[in-house]
Amino acid sequence: MQTVSPQVTSARTPFFLILRGRRTVQPGQKERGSKAAPSQRQSARRSRVLRRLGASLGKHGVLIALSAMFALPLIWMAGTSFKTAQQALALPVVWWPHPFLWSNYPDLFASLPYFRFFWNTFLYAAVTIVGVCISSSLVAYGFSRLRWPGRDAVFYVMLMTLILPFVCTLIPLFVMYKNFGWIGGYLPLEVPTFFGSSVFSTFLLRQFFMTIPQSLSEAARIDGANEFYIFLRIILPLAKPAMATVILFQFIYCWNDYLGPLVYISNQNSYPLSLGLALILGEFTTNWAWVMAGATAATAPIVILFFFTQRTFIQGITLTGTKG
Amino acid sequence: MASTAVHKVTPTRLIRWRQTRLGLLFISPWVIGFCLFYLYPFFATLYYSFTTFTGIGNPAFTGLSNYSGLLHDATFRTALFNTFYYTIIEVPLSTVAALGLALLLNLNVRGQVIYRTLFYIPSIVPVVASSLIFVWIFQPSFGIVNSLLSDVHVNGPAWFFSITWSKPTFILLGLWGLGQPMVIYLAALQGVPKEMYEVAALEGAGPWQRLRKVTIPMISPVILFNVILSLVLSIQYFTQAQVIESPAGSPGNSTMFFVTYYYQQAFTDLHLGYASAMAFLLFILVLIITVVLLKTSRRWVYYENEGR
Repeated sequence: MQTVSPQVTSARTPFFLILRGRRTVQPGQKERGSKAAPSQRQSARRSRVLRRLGASLGKHGVLIALSAMFALPLIWMAGTSFKTAQQALALPVVWWPHPFLWSNYPDLFASLPYFRFFWNTFLYAAVTIVGVCISSSLVAYGFSRLRWPGRDAVFYVMLMTLILPFVCTLIPLFVMYKNFGWIGGYLPLEVPTFFGSSVFSTFLLRQFFMTIPQSLSEAARIDGANEFYIFLRIILPLAKPAMATVILFQFIYCWNDYLGPLVYISNQNSYPLSLGLALILGEFTTNWAWVMAGATAATAPIVILFFFTQRTFIQGITLTGTKG
Repeated sequence: MASTAVHKVTPTRLIRWRQTRLGLLFISPWVIGFCLFYLYPFFATLYYSFTTFTGIGNPAFTGLSNYSGLLHDATFRTALFNTFYYTIIEVPLSTVAALGLALLLNLNVRGQVIYRTLFYIPSIVPVVASSLIFVWIFQPSFGIVNSLLSDVHVNGPAWFFSITWSKPTFILLGLWGLGQPMVIYLAALQGVPKEMYEVAALEGAGPWQRLRKVTIPMISPVILFNVILSLVLSIQYFTQAQVIESPAGSPGNSTMFFVTYYYQQAFTDLHLGYASAMAFLLFILVLIITVVLLKTSRRWVYYENEGR
C-alpha cells in the first residue's frame, strides 16, 4: 500500500517454513561453560532442566487453552450437525451425538437445492478464475517486467483502489448493469475480472514477476523475441506457483462472496452457496442440526482444500501481506 | 540507455515512447476496467449525491439537501456511532491479539505446526458459515456458551439479540477469524534477523525490551499495512450483521452499521441519491483515516533502507 522497504520483511523466508516449525535458538538457552564444581554443576543442570520443563509446560498450557477456544466453535458445529433436532437443544448440552445421525445432510439437501448452489458457485468461480488469470497476469507484467515512465505512480493508483469503499461505486454500477440487462445473473460479478478488477491477484503476480531475473527477458530480446512471446513462453511458465495461488484465492473468494451475489442475484435458483446458506437461518431456525449441517457442508470443502494446498495458501498471504 | 549512444539515429525519446506504449498495452485491461468500474462510478456517485434519484428516469438535482438530511438523520448518527464502536474496539484488539498469537506461535515449541493450523483455520471458514456457527453457539437459551456459563451460575445475556451485547458479540466473531493477519505477522517475525536478538540479549535486554526495541520496530511496516487494511474493512462492516440480524440493524438499531443503513437506503427504500451521499461521506472518512495514519506512521514505522 505504501512504500515499504522489502528488506525489512521476510521476503526471503521460505514460505513453507512458516507453518512448518522452524527451530529457533533462544538466546537465553545457550549452553554456557560452567566453572563450578561437578556437584554444583549437576544441581544447576537439574534446576535448569526443571525450569525449562516448567516453561515448556506453561507454553503448551497457554497454547492448548487458546487452541481449544479457537477449535470449539468448529467442533460444536460438526457435532451439532450429527444430532437429532431435540438433542441439539438438550440441556445440559450433549457433547457426543447419540445416536450419531447422518440423515441431516441428505434431508437438508433434499429441502433446498443445495447441489444447484454448489454448481452455481463452481461456475462463478470457474469463469472468474479464467478472467483473473488472463487479465491480472498481463497487467502485472506491464507493472513489473517493463520499464516506462510513470509506471510506479500508476501502480500506486491501482493499489489505492483497494481502500476505496465498495459502496462508493455500487449504485452507478448497478444502474449501468441494469441498462445492460445484466441484473439477476453473474455477469456483473464476472465481467470486471477480465479487466484486472482483482487488485490482489495483480499485486501478487507483480511481486512474483519482480523476483524473476531480468536477464532472462534480455536474453530473449536479443534473440529477437517480442514482448508478448516473452510473457507467454518464458515468464508465465516460471510463474506457475504464483498462478496456483491466484487460482486458489479466487476460488475461495467466490466460495465466500456474499455481498456481490446479494446485490445482483435475485432468483433463488441462481443462488451461490453463500446466499443459499444464509437462507437456512431464516427458514430452519427451529432445527439447529440442519443449520449446522449446512454450515459444515460449506466449511468442510474449504478446510480440506486448505490441508492439501497449505504451501500455496501461505505463500499467497505472505507474498502480498508482508511486502506492503 | 547505453544502446542509445550507439544508435545515434534513434533518439532516447523514441525508445522511451516504445517502452511506454508496450507497458500501457499490457496494463490496458486494467486501465479500461479502472475507468469503467472505478473512475466513472465514483464520479457518478458524487453526482448522484446531489440529486434525488430512484433508479428510474433521470436524477433530479437537489443541491446539498441529501447532506443536510444526513445531518438531521438520527438513524444515520446511530449507524455512525455503531461503526465507530465496532472499529475502535475491534481493530486494536485484533491487532494486539494477532500479534500476540504470532509471538506465541513463533516460540520454539514441539507441535507448533498443529497450533498454527488450529489458529489459522477459523479464518478460512466461509463468512456466512462462521456467522451461523456464532448464532448457534451464542444462542440465548440453548447455545453452548450460555449453557457453560450457567454451569458456573452466570446468567448469560442474549448476545446477538441484546442491545448491549450485540456489538461485542460481533467483535468476538471478528476476533475468531484473525488468522490472516496472524500469519502475516508470523512471517514478518521470522524475517527479523536472529543476530539482532543475540546482540540485544548480550546487552542485557529482557524479553519485554527485546519486544519493544527490536521486534516491534522491525515489523512496524507490516503492522501499519495490516492496521490500515483492517480499519478500512471494519468501517465497511456489513456481511455478518446482514446474515445474522433480521430485520437489519436489530435489536433496536444496535447493529445498524454504516453500510447496513446504506444498503437499506439504496436497495430497500431506493433512495439512491441519499445513499450516494452516505457513500461519499464514507470515502472522505476512509481517506482521512488513511492519510492520518500514513502521516503519523513516520513517527513509529521503521524503514530500514532510509537509515533512521
